[in-house]
Amino acid sequence: MIGIIDCNSFYASCEQVFRPDLRGKPVVVLSNNDGCVIAANKEAKALAHIPMFEPVFKIKDQLIKNNVTFFSSNYTLYGEMSNRVMRILKEFSPIVEIYSIDEAFIDLSGLDHIDLEDYGHEIKKKIMRYTGLPVGVGIAPTKVLAKLANRRSKKEISNNHVYVINSEEKRIDTLHWAKIKDVWGIGKKHTTRLQEIGKHSAYDFTQLPLSWVRKNMTVVGERTWRELRGESCLSLEVMPKPKKAIGTAKSFGKKLTSIELIEEACSYYINEVSEVLRSQNSCAKYLQVFLQTNYHSNNDKQYHNSITVTLETPTNNTFILNTEGKKALHRIFKSGYRYKKVGVCLSGIVPENYVQTNLFHQTSEKKGLMEVFDKINQKFGKSTLSPALLNKSKIKEWELVKEQRSPRYTTQWEDILKIQ
Amino acid sequence: MEIKEFGKLQSNRKKHKAEVSMQTGFPSPATHYLENTIDLSEVFVKNKEATFYIRIGGSVWENLNIYKNDVLIIDRSLKFSRRTMALIVKDGSFDIIKYPSLENKEDLESIELWGVITYIIHKV
Repeated sequence: MIGIIDCNSFYASCEQVFRPDLRGKPVVVLSNNDGCVIAANKEAKALAHIPMFEPVFKIKDQLIKNNVTFFSSNYTLYGEMSNRVMRILKEFSPIVEIYSIDEAFIDLSGLDHIDLEDYGHEIKKKIMRYTGLPVGVGIAPTKVLAKLANRRSKKEISNNHVYVINSEEKRIDTLHWAKIKDVWGIGKKHTTRLQEIGKHSAYDFTQLPLSWVRKNMTVVGERTWRELRGESCLSLEVMPKPKKAIGTAKSFGKKLTSIELIEEACSYYINEVSEVLRSQNSCAKYLQVFLQTNYHSNNDKQYHNSITVTLETPTNNTFILNTEGKKALHRIFKSGYRYKKVGVCLSGIVPENYVQTNLFHQTSEKKGLMEVFDKINQKFGKSTLSPALLNKSKIKEWELVKEQRSPRYTTQWEDILKIQ
Repeated sequence: MEIKEFGKLQSNRKKHKAEVSMQTGFPSPATHYLENTIDLSEVFVKNKEATFYIRIGGSVWENLNIYKNDVLIIDRSLKFSRRTMALIVKDGSFDIIKYPSLENKEDLESIELWGVITYIIHKV
């Protein structure tokens, strides 16, 4: 059997652990730079007129009018709370696949002698007691069925956030209960297609002949079809896959027109992504830089462009990437616009040991330098050392605005919860 | 035209070779007896996943010997039991209480426990 545990409105719940005054009240969390709403608890969702992913400036009045508390995203806090949950899960099963910041699959095979519903409740209670975070638990023979069980655990109040599909009757019943669009792995396009031919429930889908599924929905659809019928096709992935591309792009605190400041931001992001690259011992072959104005603004002239540079030899050296990034930025930058965002993305990622050099490659880069660089930054904090392009005093001009960020309660002594 | 000689550029012969380590002498006799330095969290933190730190910002709990600027170590995994203190939530705000005495037992039902206090760090 496979279980999936996911935290209910995770970001908002993390905030509420340290703010008991907000229990039962609407809370939303905003994206980086306070751009738009990315998470809301059930109280906030109940106020139907708060649309998700809507730019904040458009709905700020509504939020205030409805007494909604809003937070800037505090990923340091959410990440640390997430680690706690994942470590607790390891006490329940040696095999845990961390699927996202607030979701994990766990392997429950070999536990046939115990009541899995009790086990699910135990998991839920322990996480609540240890961390204060509410979770839902779905348990079933396959991943896709576990996802449905998890959905059912929350949608039907009587389930009390735990649902187990441990019999053929329960499986069939859940398939009738689940709409086709709620099935994990069936996207919008296929949902429409299936609805057109009169298949509305997950059960209807499983009654289609396999040949039809294979023909119209490829092997991915076939896997979903088999999983729903109780045949496990998706195993747990315990080792995180090395990332195929690493990127970052954040909006500026205010619109920028000068290339010097944009260069700085770009350099800062390159610094960040190359560190990630080195932490997984890989190198990148391509560096993409993109630049854009604020497309929500009606008054500003609009411009966006992107450029991808092929690096001579795959690298993870901050200085080389920086030089190339700067050149690339100069090629797409046009003066006279008010820029909102710059981003960088590294792709063509290969393991460090397998870098293919060209005939004329000079091994001038010193690996030791980057190692020391990373160690110092780990010890003394992010960006203690950075290429000279970064002028620390100016950083504020493009840095993210995080007006409403909560304290980093669990990672910084000066930020721990204060009571009086 | 007059040409003046300003001196020649010369390479520095004394190069630093910090990257290369040279081992000389008898190895430390303590090598086989090394242990890790005492780490406070071994004692104070029995359950990492459930441990939180909270700072006291006022003097309302001085009767419980908890003073301004003290840091509480809270272990949420523990049960509230006799002779312990806990951080609780009352009407949406935090409070600290001792485990109620026998005659006040019914209070326990209505208490919303946040976590049991295991240590108080007090700067002297």
